[in-house]
Amino acid sequence: MTVEQNFVALDQFPAGMRVLAVDDDQTCLKILETLLRRCHYHVTTTNQAQKALELLRENKNKFDLVISDVDMPDMDGFKLLELVGLEMDLPVIMLSAHSDPKYVMKGVTHGACDYLLKPVRIEELKNIWQHVVRSRFDKNRGSNNNNNVGEKRDGSGNEGVGNSDQNNGRANKKRKDQYNEDEDEERDDNDDSSTQKKQRVVWTVELHKKFVAAVNQLGYEKAMPKKILDLMNVEKLTRENVASHLQKFRLYLKRISGVTNQQAIMANSDLHFLQMTSSLNGLDGFHHRPTTVGSGQFHGGTPGMRPFPSNGILGRLNSPSGIGVRNLSSPPAGMFLKNQNDLGKFHHVSSLPLNHSDGGNILQGLPMPLEFDQLQTNNSNNIRNMNNNNKSIAGSSMAFPSFSTQQNSLIRAPNNNLVVLEGHPQASPSGFPGHQINKRVEHWSNAVSSSTLPPPQTSNSIHHQFDVSPLPHSRPDPLEWNNVSSSYSIPFCDSAASTLSPPALDTTNPGAFSRNTDFDSNANVQPGVFYDSLQMRQSGNYGPTTDAAMLSSNPKEGFVVGQQKLQSGGFMVADAGSLDDIVNSTMKQEQSQGELSGGDMGYGGFSSLRTCI
Amino acid sequence: MDALISQLQRQFRDHTISLYQQGFLDDQFTELKKLQDDGSPDFVAEVLSLFFEDCVKLISNMARALDQTTGAVDFSTVGASVHQLKGSSSSVGAKRVKALCVSFKDFCEAQNFEGCVRCLQQVDIEYKTLKSKLQDLFNLEKQIIQAGGIVPQVDIN
Repeated sequence: MTVEQNFVALDQFPAGMRVLAVDDDQTCLKILETLLRRCHYHVTTTNQAQKALELLRENKNKFDLVISDVDMPDMDGFKLLELVGLEMDLPVIMLSAHSDPKYVMKGVTHGACDYLLKPVRIEELKNIWQHVVRSRFDKNRGSNNNNNVGEKRDGSGNEGVGNSDQNNGRANKKRKDQYNEDEDEERDDNDDSSTQKKQRVVWTVELHKKFVAAVNQLGYEKAMPKKILDLMNVEKLTRENVASHLQKFRLYLKRISGVTNQQAIMANSDLHFLQMTSSLNGLDGFHHRPTTVGSGQFHGGTPGMRPFPSNGILGRLNSPSGIGVRNLSSPPAGMFLKNQNDLGKFHHVSSLPLNHSDGGNILQGLPMPLEFDQLQTNNSNNIRNMNNNNKSIAGSSMAFPSFSTQQNSLIRAPNNNLVVLEGHPQASPSGFPGHQINKRVEHWSNAVSSSTLPPPQTSNSIHHQFDVSPLPHSRPDPLEWNNVSSSYSIPFCDSAASTLSPPALDTTNPGAFSRNTDFDSNANVQPGVFYDSLQMRQSGNYGPTTDAAMLSSNPKEGFVVGQQKLQSGGFMVADAGSLDDIVNSTMKQEQSQGELSGGDMGYGGFSSLRTCI
Repeated sequence: MDALISQLQRQFRDHTISLYQQGFLDDQFTELKKLQDDGSPDFVAEVLSLFFEDCVKLISNMARALDQTTGAVDFSTVGASVHQLKGSSSSVGAKRVKALCVSFKDFCEAQNFEGCVRCLQQVDIEYKTLKSKLQDLFNLEKQIIQAGGIVPQVDIN
């Protein structure tokens, strides 16, 4: 039932709001009823709490709000409050002649959305409709989150560490984890815990930071949920919460670890890059991971958290600019970007790099369209979820499988591309193949991304290429290498991001784009978040350098915003379904930017690539 | 007839003012009066009769709880009834009754038997007094209306 449906008529609201008034005192009940009627609410009264519960249970959608006295002979008002919150997820207002703050506190901790003192005045009742609106508003936002294991908990809307209450309160929060921007808050789990559903844990940024710090402290390999839980020292957080979060975290790291490894290697040698990219199998040499998402197959040797050679690497990883750019232009992407706390996005992102690194295991010949469909569905779900503050990891998990597979297929591209590139050196005027290739790629990427990044030195370029987490283009592009190349070519985030605006490349395949964009945007955002926490990287690497919150409307997550910006800088050419598109886009970029240095080189390289292909 | 109406209205006004001035009624009663309209012309009377019914019930509860012949006095039971009476009296604007309930509650918490008994007696007297005074007021209203007049809005300030 939509919010609107619940109201008699939206334009009449709050008139017609259906209130259930419960008070064993008939005098007070009569007065309350009259006052409520005077406010144009639709009132039902009962002087017994038990009867009230029956009425509510009979039809959960019959009432919008419950007002209940605290002292009642047949049932404690607080008990009724809890039950209503748990079973029906309706806003409940407490009413009492007790002005003692401890009663008020008890009301709050039991989930009351307001506490009124007797004698009740009509002015106070005129505003109680806000609680209904707020509750439904939160529910609608919450319902967009992934719907996975439902854990309901009546919450006052602020969640954070551990079992925190959902924004919406107990009701409807059937999602396992909801991401909330609010700070951690603890719900008073009282002796009725047995009747309450499990609390949903909202992994806020702060909470996750604590988690990451704990994992770091313990050592990734040794991090066990129990120990993490102890280190985090967060009330109401259970071992189960930590365990599931840890699993997701590991999956994420697994995905990105492939890129990290590559980066580390590239940092050491140009050839490694070529080797790695040139052969899918070669990637096996690196931390090869199964591409299955959520399979948890994280080989022991590849801890997600690696000592990155440089701070920047991770940052760059996290700024899969190519993918991000595209997404930026689309509204869903924008929405994603706004969800800094969306762990789901994070997971999406992580899956991207993973694919890249797992060249060997790339799912080749997979039915791409199917993947996309899955992806799209998941994405759309995730997008909606992500838009809300409350996101569930589960939702993002759903998207993983398709996403990862998709990425795998996309991963293949690098190989092809590199092969082509490798061929170039010979044709290139420069006599240094490796360097040439890198440069060419870089130029091309520069052109593509239209970044103003000056042609870096070989080592830099290599780093850059690796830094950019290869976000497989969401689209099952047969020319997957396009994606790869673009991702590799993405210049260093810092410089590139700021100048780049979403390229026009996306136009070729809007459908694919939109789907991917969601992921991409998420990916763009998430990794940074995680990495930041993990690495304590200076935000300067990728975050703040970019234009402000272009994409994200949340000022809090400046670093994420920055990240997004970077991503926009390094858009992925892969959007284009064909090389021609890429070329065109590149051309456009170049023309628009006009800053590309070595443009000729880039173009030259590009055309060469084209011909080679 | 007009003279009668005027007289009745004057009496009504004076009586109302005295009730407020003597502390029998407070602003809440005024609010109740505002809720009375053509749709619910007897609203105040209805509410007040409910209140007086509650008084009877609660006072007998208290008396029973304070009856030592049945055993030890359960002050919490007394206190619960007092609390409820306090709530309803405050809701109708029965100022004096409510004030009594406050001190009555203190005695209950202090488990002061004599204090409670005293308060109980006072509450009993107080609600009955209020009841008779309000009855007079309602009668005046009725007479005014029967005489064809309009019940005046008394401004208590």
